[in-house]
Amino acid sequence: MFVAPHIEWAALSPVLILLGAAVIGVLVEAFVPRGSRRLVQVVVAALALGGALVAVTWRWTVVQQDGPSSLVAGALREDAPALLFQAILLILALLALLVIADRARGEDAFTPTASAIPGSEYEGQARRAGLAQTEVFPLTMFAVTGMLVFPAAADLLTMFIALEVLSLPLYLLAGMARRRRLVSQEASLKYFLLGAFSSAFFLMGLALLYGYAGSVHLADIATAVPLVSGMDGLLLAGSALVIIGLLFKVGAVPFHSWTPDVYQGAPTPITGFMAACTKVAAFAALLRFVYVVTPGLGWDLAPFLWIVAILTMVVGTVLAIVQTDMKRTLAYSSVAHAGFLLLGIIALDERGISGILVYLLAYGLATVGAFALVTLVRTKDAEGNLVGEAGHLSEWAGLGRRSPVLAVCFALFLLSFAGIPLTAGFTGKFAVFGAAVAGGDWPLVVIAVLASAAAAFFYVRIIVLMFFTEPATGEDGSATTVVRSEGLTAVAVVVCAVGTVLVGVVPTAVLAVAAQASKFLL
Amino acid sequence: MSILNYLVLSGILFAIGGTAVLVRRNAIVAFMGVELMLNAANLTLVTFARMHGDLTGQVIAFFVMVVAAAEVVIGLAIIVSIFRTRGSASLDDASLLKS
Amino acid sequence: MSIDLAAILIVAVPLASAGVLLLLGRRSDGWGHWLGVLASAASAVMAFVILFGLLGRGAEDRAVDVHLFSWIPAGELDVDAGFLVDPLSATFLLLITFVGTLIHVYAVAYMEHDDDRRRFFAYLNLFIAAMLILVLADSFALLFVGWEGVGLASYLLIGFWNQRTEYAVAAKKAFVMNRVGDMGLIIAMGAMFASIGSVDFETVFAAAPELSEGWATAIGIALLIGACGKSAQFPLQAWLGDAMAGPTPVSALIHAATMVTAGVYLVVRSGAIFEASPTAQLLVVIVGAITLVFGAIVGCAKDDIKKALAASTMSQIGYMMLAAGLGPIGYAFAIFHLLTHGFFKAGMFLGAGSVMHGMNDEVNMRGFGGLSRFMKVTWITFGLGWLAIIGFPGLSGFWSKDKIIEAAFVGEGWQPWVFGMVALLAAGLTAFYMSRLFFMTFHGKARWNDGKNEAPGPEQHPHESPLLMTVPMIVLAVGSLGLGAFLAFGDRFFHWLEPVTGHAEHHDPVIPIPVIMGATVVLMLIGVLLAWRQYWASSVPLMPPTGSVLTRAARRDLYQDSVNEAVFARPGTHTVRTLTYADTAVVDGAVNGLGAGAVGLGERLRKLQNGHVRSYSAAMSVGVVLVLVIVLVARI
Repeated sequence: MFVAPHIEWAALSPVLILLGAAVIGVLVEAFVPRGSRRLVQVVVAALALGGALVAVTWRWTVVQQDGPSSLVAGALREDAPALLFQAILLILALLALLVIADRARGEDAFTPTASAIPGSEYEGQARRAGLAQTEVFPLTMFAVTGMLVFPAAADLLTMFIALEVLSLPLYLLAGMARRRRLVSQEASLKYFLLGAFSSAFFLMGLALLYGYAGSVHLADIATAVPLVSGMDGLLLAGSALVIIGLLFKVGAVPFHSWTPDVYQGAPTPITGFMAACTKVAAFAALLRFVYVVTPGLGWDLAPFLWIVAILTMVVGTVLAIVQTDMKRTLAYSSVAHAGFLLLGIIALDERGISGILVYLLAYGLATVGAFALVTLVRTKDAEGNLVGEAGHLSEWAGLGRRSPVLAVCFALFLLSFAGIPLTAGFTGKFAVFGAAVAGGDWPLVVIAVLASAAAAFFYVRIIVLMFFTEPATGEDGSATTVVRSEGLTAVAVVVCAVGTVLVGVVPTAVLAVAAQASKFLL
Repeated sequence: MSILNYLVLSGILFAIGGTAVLVRRNAIVAFMGVELMLNAANLTLVTFARMHGDLTGQVIAFFVMVVAAAEVVIGLAIIVSIFRTRGSASLDDASLLKS
Repeated sequence: MSIDLAAILIVAVPLASAGVLLLLGRRSDGWGHWLGVLASAASAVMAFVILFGLLGRGAEDRAVDVHLFSWIPAGELDVDAGFLVDPLSATFLLLITFVGTLIHVYAVAYMEHDDDRRRFFAYLNLFIAAMLILVLADSFALLFVGWEGVGLASYLLIGFWNQRTEYAVAAKKAFVMNRVGDMGLIIAMGAMFASIGSVDFETVFAAAPELSEGWATAIGIALLIGACGKSAQFPLQAWLGDAMAGPTPVSALIHAATMVTAGVYLVVRSGAIFEASPTAQLLVVIVGAITLVFGAIVGCAKDDIKKALAASTMSQIGYMMLAAGLGPIGYAFAIFHLLTHGFFKAGMFLGAGSVMHGMNDEVNMRGFGGLSRFMKVTWITFGLGWLAIIGFPGLSGFWSKDKIIEAAFVGEGWQPWVFGMVALLAAGLTAFYMSRLFFMTFHGKARWNDGKNEAPGPEQHPHESPLLMTVPMIVLAVGSLGLGAFLAFGDRFFHWLEPVTGHAEHHDPVIPIPVIMGATVVLMLIGVLLAWRQYWASSVPLMPPTGSVLTRAARRDLYQDSVNEAVFARPGTHTVRTLTYADTAVVDGAVNGLGAGAVGLGERLRKLQNGHVRSYSAAMSVGVVLVLVIVLVARI
């Protein structure tokens, strides 16, 4: 006899709000006249993110009172870590939405029609007619929905679905850049192909684990780990493959190859969104999987995780040092940060969870802020027309003199990346490294600190470039200019900057809240 | 009919799919390889469902099919847009972003 | 208002005012100086509130702890930021804020023609706040914050007119020499932590009697070095003369009344430590004695009125140090003299500023003479200060300096004789050079060009200064006149300080007191007479005559700069050069090698990212295979 599962609608409210907003967004595309489409989409998206944040806060108070619970027959789990990760995701998504929705000189960062052939007459007509690809907003909402489910997923199937729901819109969004369409399309293709490839590995791992445990619920797999014997190969191979699928999303070496190309090719607001939010979601899922299912396998999985972490930190840092493109540098730096975050995973310690939470918050704020600022720095040619974003590092020289506020904010974000004290990045690094030491992995911490020191080089190089170098004009008379947008980006940057400073100077509040997430309960 | 046969078969399919992704130059054929990998996983799931006497594996296989279909939609859209731009679906030509 | 609140406000108001004036910048130029004056005045009001609050309590109840916040909770070292309001700090609060406010008012008029007047007041307020933190701190750590703060303010104010390079250099010299002293204070704090485990006053002074003599001596000497730096005592005294490059209100406030007394405060406050180490105490007395003679000799040969007053300050602080080093009997006298000196020295500096104001900023006394007719108020107030400092019976200096000389004669063995005679003779020297200064400036024939005589130089029109300048001078002169008698009456000041300085046994000096008093008065009269003969009765040459070896040496500050150069600066530069070479060659070499390695590795790894999707998926597949191998094989 089939018994319908009880659905806790109230507990699912954040996800439902966003899903509803995404569906409404699609309907808006169909029914709302073109002129008002953009405004309606932005409002719907912003309200949905705000409403979901309120819902998450409400659920937090409920969970504080009643404790964690399983939802939808065990498919989702509502506990402190899940809610905190969701809250961070929503905050970062809201800030990223501000950047996505912003326009400079009437043009946003997205192509007027994604389906047009780049450089064709049709595309030119669409641009002159002022068309806008407003599907960006429902796509973003779908992606955020997937990201919200990811941390709360209590079985592997839900995790897989969430993974796909968050990835598919991102594949599309990566291909929608306004300028440099070829590069953008190529980024989209690479992301898609490699993403699908890694999803296949994830699925195979899921299948193997199912074979081992007879169930895909994380809790059941965890109980099956000590019980079942003789099929250890399945368990280990399955766990490894699942973790690899998640490591791809995170951008860990050797599964990181998509990161620089996709970050560079995608429209910059989407890059900021991806870099911050996918990492948060993916690390949340990775955290849940490793801490719930594989603590007993610590000995077996540790070697491979150690190697991945060390490689990621080293390769990310070393490759970032030799870059000449701004977005690519930031991409490799985010690979290095993934390495640092992996330390919190490897720690298998209570403090690892809170450490990763704080680090992700710090990293996310700085990332969204940094990429938001990158959208504002453009190249203009000899006649004064805007050509595109100032990609090459040398074009950023002397920015400190012409736009001091922008340069100072950017420097703040770079210092947060580098982990300089009094910025949020330092708090995050301190929390994660502390957790790693508590877990007994101090060699990793030593390497991490050395890598941080080396990484400081390329961050400071950019700061020196901005403040202590003369601005350069290209041979063709091109120069760098800071474009004035409608103001949403500025709001996002200010919030990120304030957040970075606050979490750095008075971290106790954030650390206290994160510490409450220290226990997953099965 | 031992379970092992099916597992080996799905392993072979998975390997073939993976090889197709690595070796074939045409984007669509590479994507077909990914689909093959997904279906190999489906086969594994169904096999294990049979082994455990559980229906969960088969249900998951359904979900995977739906997801694969959605992925095809997105994937082909991307590949077609590239094809229309360049006139070829060769993966090797798409290498503007490097190092 | 409670004492706690007053203690917080007394620091917060000038600090906030400094912040406002600096942040608002040019916009506050029109009214900034009045804000500065108000802030200082508010602090003075708070100081009186605290004074009356303390007076209202019984004598045993006069130490108020104001806990501010937990500052450095670093495991074993737990330092809380807090204020200690007791009679000693209250005395200083009154001195700093009262004299400070008067000088603020004076500076409104003195700096009237300066465009940067608002910035000047911001720095003055900053100084007041830092100095108040210094005297209110309840731990050496917080005291150090105030210590550094006044050092910073002093640097900013000495070099205020930094358009002139020599002024900026003077500021730098003051700062660097202060740093040397600060090192002593830091070492002292380190030693305190190592031996006692804490740096707050309560714990340290309670543990001081138990300290081994070695530790106590080490801490004492380190504290003394710190005090020497800040108070311009030998051997760190070379910066005070150069510090006169700053505007006169700065010289009056910082380098006469307050900052230079911080060293004396430190020694008196740390009395418990010095009492645990007779060696350190003796060293304090010796340093004080040397400095007081040094300052007196240099003061005899200086023609710059401000530098002469600076040498006098150095010498008088030598007196205070000497008293402080004598132990419990001397502490109260040192503070008493500090108070009276604050009034008459600040008054004389303001008077010097007034003279300079009227004589077109001329500072060379050889270009003065006969000014008493033209600047009556300045002449009278300066004169009262002069009488006080030479120890004329009845005025404040008489009460305070004589007590020190008497205390110097107390003791056994050679010490009372040596120190007593030094103090006594220096009193005579003080009378000589201060009278020289007074007579050269205000009496005798006018050596300046008044349009009628044939004196060289541009025509001068000396005139009295405006009210805003003369009123503070008058108030300070009243203090010079009566403060000493008021405080000495019935020993009320010493009873007031007793909770802090401890009760001192009364010993008799080796020479009877009336003899000492008589000798002091006689020496004073001889000094005044000699000065009268040379600088009033006879004409003063316009160019300094060659003079004896000692005179020439004194003009060159007893070669202090050459000594510093040879002993410290040159070897120091040598050491730095060697270290820089080592740094560049070894450390930089290692770091650059690492960097080059990273870049090389990066360039090689770059080639892996060749832009082809298939290569990326190949890398991923290899990764997967390797991972599976590691995970599965490890199991086996």
